[in-house]
Amino acid sequence: MLIESRKTSLAILLLPFLLSVFSPMVSASYTADANEEESENEKSPSETWDLNNEVSYLECEDEVDSDGVVTEVCEYVFPWGGNEILQFKEYHTYETMKTRMMVLAQENPDIFQFHEGFNGGMNARGQETSTDSYEGWYYGHSSPWLKITGDVEDGEYNEFNGDTGNYPDRPDVMIVGNHHAREWMSYQTPILVMETIAFYYGKEPTDNDGDGLTDEDPWGDADGDGQVDDDGDCLALAPKYQDSNGDGKPCNPGDFGVDEDFSEVELTNMINNREIYLIPMLNTDGNIYDREVYMPGQCPGEEAWDCSAAGWRKNLRDNTVTGVTPIPDLDESVDEGCDGVDLNRNYQFEWGAPLGATGPLIPGACYAGQNNDVYNGPVDNTDNDGDCVGAPTPECVNEDHVDGKDDDGDGLVDEDWWGGNSEPETKFIQDMTEMNDDNGDGASEFKATLTYHSYSELVLYPWGHCTNCQSPDHDQLVYHGDQMATMTDYVNMQSSDLYPTSGDFCDWHYGVHGSYCYTMEIGTAFHQRPEDVDHIAVRNNGVAFYMIKIADNPRERADLEMANIVRNQIIIEPVIPDSGDIPVEMCLDDAFAIDLDVMKSHVMYRMVKPSRQQSDYGPKEWFTEPWSMTGFSVVKEGGECQLLNDSGTGYKVVANVPIGDDQTGNLHVKSMISTLGGTQKIEYPSNSQYYELKIDYRAPFGNVFGSMMLFMTVVVFVWGGLGVCLRMMMVDDEIKEGILDAEFVEDSS
Amino acid sequence: MSQSDQFSGRMGLIFAAIGAAIGTGNIWRFPRMVGANEGGTFLIPWLIFLFAWSIPLVIAEFALGKRSRTGTIGTFRIFAGKNFAWMGLWTAWISTAIGFYYAVVAGWCLKYFQLGISNGLVGEDVDTQLVWNEFLQSSGNVVFFQFLVIAITLLAIWKGAKAIEKVNVILMISLFVLLFMSLGLSLWMDMADGTLDGFLFMFTVKWSSLSDPAIWINGLSQSAWSCSAGMGMAITYSVYMRKDEDTTLNAFTMGLANNSISIIAGLTVLSAIFAVSENPLDTVTNGSSAITFLALPEVFAQAPGGSVGAWVMMTGFFLALSFAALTSMISTVELCVRNFVDHGYEREKSVLLTSIAILIFGLPSALLWITIAPDGTAFPQFLEVQDHIWGYGLMFSGLFIAFTIWKYGYQKWRAHVEAGEAAPGLRGYLGVGVSAFRDDFINTGDNDIWIGRWWDILMYLAFPFLFTVLIVSYFGDMIMNTENVWDPTNPNGITIILLFWGVVAGGFIAFNRKLVQRPLFRNVPEGAEVDISMLPGGSDQLVVEVGEYPEGWEHLADKQAQ
Repeated sequence: MLIESRKTSLAILLLPFLLSVFSPMVSASYTADANEEESENEKSPSETWDLNNEVSYLECEDEVDSDGVVTEVCEYVFPWGGNEILQFKEYHTYETMKTRMMVLAQENPDIFQFHEGFNGGMNARGQETSTDSYEGWYYGHSSPWLKITGDVEDGEYNEFNGDTGNYPDRPDVMIVGNHHAREWMSYQTPILVMETIAFYYGKEPTDNDGDGLTDEDPWGDADGDGQVDDDGDCLALAPKYQDSNGDGKPCNPGDFGVDEDFSEVELTNMINNREIYLIPMLNTDGNIYDREVYMPGQCPGEEAWDCSAAGWRKNLRDNTVTGVTPIPDLDESVDEGCDGVDLNRNYQFEWGAPLGATGPLIPGACYAGQNNDVYNGPVDNTDNDGDCVGAPTPECVNEDHVDGKDDDGDGLVDEDWWGGNSEPETKFIQDMTEMNDDNGDGASEFKATLTYHSYSELVLYPWGHCTNCQSPDHDQLVYHGDQMATMTDYVNMQSSDLYPTSGDFCDWHYGVHGSYCYTMEIGTAFHQRPEDVDHIAVRNNGVAFYMIKIADNPRERADLEMANIVRNQIIIEPVIPDSGDIPVEMCLDDAFAIDLDVMKSHVMYRMVKPSRQQSDYGPKEWFTEPWSMTGFSVVKEGGECQLLNDSGTGYKVVANVPIGDDQTGNLHVKSMISTLGGTQKIEYPSNSQYYELKIDYRAPFGNVFGSMMLFMTVVVFVWGGLGVCLRMMMVDDEIKEGILDAEFVEDSS
Repeated sequence: MSQSDQFSGRMGLIFAAIGAAIGTGNIWRFPRMVGANEGGTFLIPWLIFLFAWSIPLVIAEFALGKRSRTGTIGTFRIFAGKNFAWMGLWTAWISTAIGFYYAVVAGWCLKYFQLGISNGLVGEDVDTQLVWNEFLQSSGNVVFFQFLVIAITLLAIWKGAKAIEKVNVILMISLFVLLFMSLGLSLWMDMADGTLDGFLFMFTVKWSSLSDPAIWINGLSQSAWSCSAGMGMAITYSVYMRKDEDTTLNAFTMGLANNSISIIAGLTVLSAIFAVSENPLDTVTNGSSAITFLALPEVFAQAPGGSVGAWVMMTGFFLALSFAALTSMISTVELCVRNFVDHGYEREKSVLLTSIAILIFGLPSALLWITIAPDGTAFPQFLEVQDHIWGYGLMFSGLFIAFTIWKYGYQKWRAHVEAGEAAPGLRGYLGVGVSAFRDDFINTGDNDIWIGRWWDILMYLAFPFLFTVLIVSYFGDMIMNTENVWDPTNPNGITIILLFWGVVAGGFIAFNRKLVQRPLFRNVPEGAEVDISMLPGGSDQLVVEVGEYPEGWEHLADKQAQ
């Protein structure tokens, strides 16, 4: 009886344990049944990304509403860690931004160089400047900026700008944020660009979103299916999770899973082949004033984003200063109704027209009317070209306005301007542009420039100063603008179609220096709410890299792509010969003038071989060689080939990849080709992928004579040696046995 | 002295030593290394290092063991002094730790022998990868064969030297026969297509590759591992030597026999694979277990003579492999047991204890982290990590042996200088110190082969150089090629190795004081008594011969009498 009862009690004791074992299975099978119908689209973000729970892309929490419906609420997590500011959950201030720039420059001395303003000297217009020339009128800070390029500590030294890392063969690109003080997202966005470069530069292909795939969703619509979510992981989410930024459009840029896994290799190549001038906050004066004085003054005790006031826009030029001694300046503090110049109306190209701007006033005068916010700065009545010496006439001042034409017919262009670039901030941009001439051809290096503004969700290209007009590069500008509009789901339009403006950044860059210049009007407010900072910055991150990429020759790139030339060219699948080099052929369009310089156009290749350090019991291990390159030559005979998409015939180029006959493993190849026109390193396949070819052993396994020789040597040394040893042992034993026998005999005797 | 235990004859010792040296490393690692290192090119460093590394170390081991007449712990206690007994403990531990998972590996070999017998690997519908994955993932099966290996080992060593000898002689002779038979069959296979390309590949030197340091490093590591040099096996078995055994000839025989078997096994495996495989080099550069358990069954299934040929080939080869593994397992367990017996524990108890420990501590390697590699093949990751951690610990066992030799030479020279018999400077050191060990313990008069100055040069110059090269290249490769190499949770990283080594070595050093408080019983056969008083541990009152008991330890005698 006792035993019986013990059995029962044991069973009871074990029951919870058994139940706990079985219950998950049972409940799992039930829930599986219930979910089966809609399981296709029922994934939540945490089931899709960050599978290894490294919290490097998303952090999710379940939120239960009053009806008990559980929704997963996620926010971006940036892999560089850090506080709320570094995680783009709070705004940077001028101070935190500058500190962060210096820290990143210190941590990445090979690619980042930190500067504030310039050393100064004689600028391109013959003016003497000094470090003071670029300091804001009021708070006295020069704009902090980063020079970003591979091996930034090498290259030429620019005495005026104070930066090294100037390479004649690297196209330059300028990225400027915060012309307008209150447009806070316009400096947050370039800060994300800077963080992205700092973190991902030099990395091997990385799984950024933790979904187990690498580099599967680059910026924009890489596969051309009209969907920016190239890997479809956002679209695979349950519908309620698809619009994570709450703009009403599911799976568009800025939502989780869109363009989140770009190629680190491509990023690294870009940094190594471009010089990037990143100025996240141009208008330091205005920004500090807006944050610390203006907005708190408008809405005391409220956060800027809760306040209905628009905010401070301009810089802090003191418009009432007379400049004439001994009359004192009676208003040293900022006179909000009068002071300040709109920096984006202050550039010299076609400056001063009252288009979306308040016309120029004489110094010391203040126009306190409704258009004060777009005041474009004072008239410059100096004789800039010095032609008034001798016989001063009214015609010798301001006689050649900056418009790209020789207005006075003296053979000089734009040499005596009416005004503009009067501010330390715009002077800074002008000198950065004009004093950066790495190859010494007298022209500015910048072929691509980008500036962020907010808000309106637009991509704007020149012109801004004229209506019903088109620039000479209209089609090409539209093309690149469309690409960036796809990337951001913004609207692409000509700047003046929004409203005409004179003296803006892009008109000047394009008009004076021929640089393809875009204004991104990002976001939906001047002071965006902090919870929107991360997704708006993420949404616009790819644009900067697009501009960096096209900075070599934006016009030619647009032409090649508009004619589908880039897309129609292919690497012909290589046939591995029985021995010798492996020829990698490309079929190129006749309109594509390939630059055969091996540094410009080449096939990159590497072998992945079985590792010599293979562990005994582990899986097969591989050794990956570093990339090497080999140049192309044009195929003379039988060089005609078919382009893709039925686009006719092209010409063949071939690169011979030297792979020994005795190599075995996988060969990775990709090609990078440049044009004589300056477009650099178009990649095949795109997105820094590569083709993989299986390489079998092609050499003879050995020769009879040599192998017999070695075999005989081994036989003599090893088996012969063993034989000798054994023989010696036998002899020994015989002797010893003999001795033993003798002893035995002695004993018995 | 009836309690001392010894081999019945010279052949017994030789077979036991060869059995210890020849293991799976000869049969599955050697062909892989040849395949991955440019065929015949690899044989050159491999042969050179047999004479420059393996044989000199084995000579040292035999000489040490023959004089100390104890296992590894006792040998270091006597030769290096009381404070260095932990080095012997380290040597014993490394061998035993390898034994934990080696039993599992030996079990796989037995399983494949069983599969061979039952024709489980031949047929149209046999997917060798599937067979392997299913086997590795069925814990019961793996543990059963692991248990079987340990049980056979236990029976073989239960009775001591004489039984070990008998088992080794039988297994080794069978191994030779089986391997030769397999070789014949696979050469026949390779010949069938008109060329002996396996043979050609294995014996053709690519002179341009000879300058590749990786090939030399791999040749060295193959030589160091496959011969068990520095592992303490030879020390252990030389305890059972008869009094006038020839240590040097034994060492040469052991090393050469080991390499002979490697050549035969290598030729067998390569010929078979080259005969059948589309891309033989791709096949042989896989991991060892993948070659042996995935590729070879497929290859052997195509042996000439239809199903009979396949059956003979399969059973013959896997039986040979099992025998090689078993004899190595025997020496591993014996190494551990010997150390217990030296310290006054009963043999039966020690054998049982060691076997149970090897079974239990081997279970994680058998069961944990059975992972599927990207190519779909299962592999035991825990086992691999164990190998990763303890494999290179072997290098330090070798270093300790060299250290003992250096120390002895230095002390002898100092003693001579103090007695005024030797010059103080470098000259005196080179004269007396460097050759001291060789003079006193190797060239003892029992040798047919007189060991010359070359041995000193190898021990004092080549050994430390090669040791450094191996360690630096191993860790260097790991640092270059492993992600998060310093992350302690990375099972393929460095930190985990250093951590385990550090904890074990630290524990052993701390335990050293306790260890040398126990008496040490030397297994000295009749007539083989030699003076050890000039050795650092020679004056230790606790070091006695079997049958004697030091003061305060007489109770052990009563215990053993029971």
